[in-house]
Amino acid sequence: MRAAGQRRPAALLAAPAAAALALVALLPLLATAWLSLRRRVLVFGEDRFVGLANYRALAVDARFWNAFANTVYFTAVAVAVELLLALPLALLLHRAQRGRGALRAAVLLPWILPTVVAAKLWALIFQPELGLLARLLPGGAPALLASPRLALHAAILVDVWKTTPFVALVLLAGLQAIPDDLARAARVDGASPLRILRSITLPLLRPAILLALLFRSLDAFRVFDAVFVLTDGGPGNTTEPLSLYAYKTLLRAGSFGLGSAISLVTFLCVAALGLVQVRLLGGRGGALR
Amino acid sequence: MRPALALLLLAAASAVGCRREGRAAGETRVVLRYQPLGGDPRPLQALVAEFERANPGVRVELQAIPNASDLAHQLLVTALGAGAEDLDAFVLDVVWVAEFTRAGWLDDLSDAFPPDRIRADFLAGPAEAVVREGRTRAVPWFVDVGLLYYRSDLVPSPPATYAALEAEARAAMARAPGTAGFVWQGRQYEGLSCVFYEALWGHGGSALRGGRLALDTPEAVRALAWLRGLVTHGVSPPSVLVAAEEDARRAFQDGRAVFMRNWPYAWPLIQDPASPVRGRVGVAALPSEDGAPGAGVLGGWQLAVSARAPPARRAAAVRLVAHLSSPAANLVLALAYGRNPARRATYGEPRLLRENPFIAGLLPELERARPRPLTPYYMLSADAVQGELSAAVSGLRSPAEALRRAQAQADAIAGVAP
Repeated sequence: MRAAGQRRPAALLAAPAAAALALVALLPLLATAWLSLRRRVLVFGEDRFVGLANYRALAVDARFWNAFANTVYFTAVAVAVELLLALPLALLLHRAQRGRGALRAAVLLPWILPTVVAAKLWALIFQPELGLLARLLPGGAPALLASPRLALHAAILVDVWKTTPFVALVLLAGLQAIPDDLARAARVDGASPLRILRSITLPLLRPAILLALLFRSLDAFRVFDAVFVLTDGGPGNTTEPLSLYAYKTLLRAGSFGLGSAISLVTFLCVAALGLVQVRLLGGRGGALR
Repeated sequence: MRPALALLLLAAASAVGCRREGRAAGETRVVLRYQPLGGDPRPLQALVAEFERANPGVRVELQAIPNASDLAHQLLVTALGAGAEDLDAFVLDVVWVAEFTRAGWLDDLSDAFPPDRIRADFLAGPAEAVVREGRTRAVPWFVDVGLLYYRSDLVPSPPATYAALEAEARAAMARAPGTAGFVWQGRQYEGLSCVFYEALWGHGGSALRGGRLALDTPEAVRALAWLRGLVTHGVSPPSVLVAAEEDARRAFQDGRAVFMRNWPYAWPLIQDPASPVRGRVGVAALPSEDGAPGAGVLGGWQLAVSARAPPARRAAAVRLVAHLSSPAANLVLALAYGRNPARRATYGEPRLLRENPFIAGLLPELERARPRPLTPYYMLSADAVQGELSAAVSGLRSPAEALRRAQAQADAIAGVAP
């Protein structure tokens, strides 16, 4: 336990960082919270306190719940698929002996590409008459982005294509931290490769998996750019995530109070998601302990 | 090293600042925010230079704003809402005039441009949009209108009714397999709203009642059901549901469609020597339910003066607006940039008839063009309306249900109790 005399200098040393955080994170957050309690329409000079009216409006707003469902679905499916694809990819990268550096660089390419560029590329691929997909499929491509059922999955596909390499890299780092001796000892004891994977590699990889899960789900929950470029939320708002709804309400509909309420709800969701996962990470064998 | 460099930069910056201030002293600086017209900037610069020569002591500063209409709207609303003083004159879309007038951002131009003169000299649609409650709030600069493009080699004559359009499209599709019937703008964005309002007018409806958006009407339901029907009956390909203007134009120009709804800008591109359909395309008024020539959506840009500009700059800005919207300037914009003149008289100019007969020939369509609902809440409701229109044309909801929801959202935005 620290002595009381050490506390003050410690607090003093942390103060600049805390002040910076308060200035760039806490203050805007409080301002958003304050704004979310008002009806503010810049164009008409409307600005009055309305209490929780914006939140009450959201509670019965079909478009809000639709955006919420889209965001949760996007996050759950995209992150799950990314983890499932990234694990074999990471194992492969870990095993690869020749051309290791080149292979890793190649895998990272989609991740390096700006999301807007990647989404534009995919929009061209999906183009139902001239796109690559239409040329590859014998019967022509379905109008993916025009379909209320399929459009969100197209956005998920773009996200998976783009961020699986990142997840694979996080897992690769985890793999490299596992001592080779363990696997070697298991082999001496006659364990099969599958058994080694299940009983040694996966349990020891748990912190890396949880870390990737944390990064990716927080990121996916705030998805904006890919959807903005691919469909702008259409058709019929079936691909609209919370962040796009907040943006459109704030800047296109000019309703700063309601837009702030949506932003704050999004933030609270992300914060809750983050807290739960940090708790998981901090648990037995956790990376953040 | 670093701090020294920063200091140097700071000094340089302040020197530049001083120089600009020094030059501005004794002369009136007028800032015009406009969207680049595309192509060669010199004809517009020449117009501005001509104004500066005629008005010694006035210097015009041209500042570009984004060409995307909603981005330009965001930028101007943010700047004007924050009381910015670095814009004296600016361009505005035809659907913003009511909104900006209600916000109190537009100077009253009635002295320089009496409403009667506006109505006499300019086309009816833009004149109706810029005169609010008997006062002139902006001056039409150039106009745009929704048109029906058709393949003259596949279609005997342009259809007058919706039924004829579908029948002719089917017949042409049977003769030329692999061709789509009718392409339009069905993506979730403002282009879809334009297509919808045209269909609404073509079905005898109107979207404005007592200064408010009225979307939940029987005519609107029929108009939206017709658009959805085009997709389900196979006259329009599913890809129209993600198409914007350029997607439709490319499909049509490649010879992959019989009919297209688009703006006049597509004409010179379609007539390009490299265009596969060059010489095989005609332009007509949009069809309607009863066969009367349909009204296209009125687009286009106006010039306005900021109500917040200081008096000296405001006076100069009004003169600049007068200069840029003069008959001579209308002709320059038409010849150099292919923009349709907002003044009626320009359509009879011999030079225009000779050099750009296409524009000159659009006068009947432009006279019939109608503005989208002139309500201050148009832009603020546009996003909610687009989402519901898209839901209906993509088959997610029935047209009636979508329009009910659109009406409820528009009412909430306008602060109307349901």
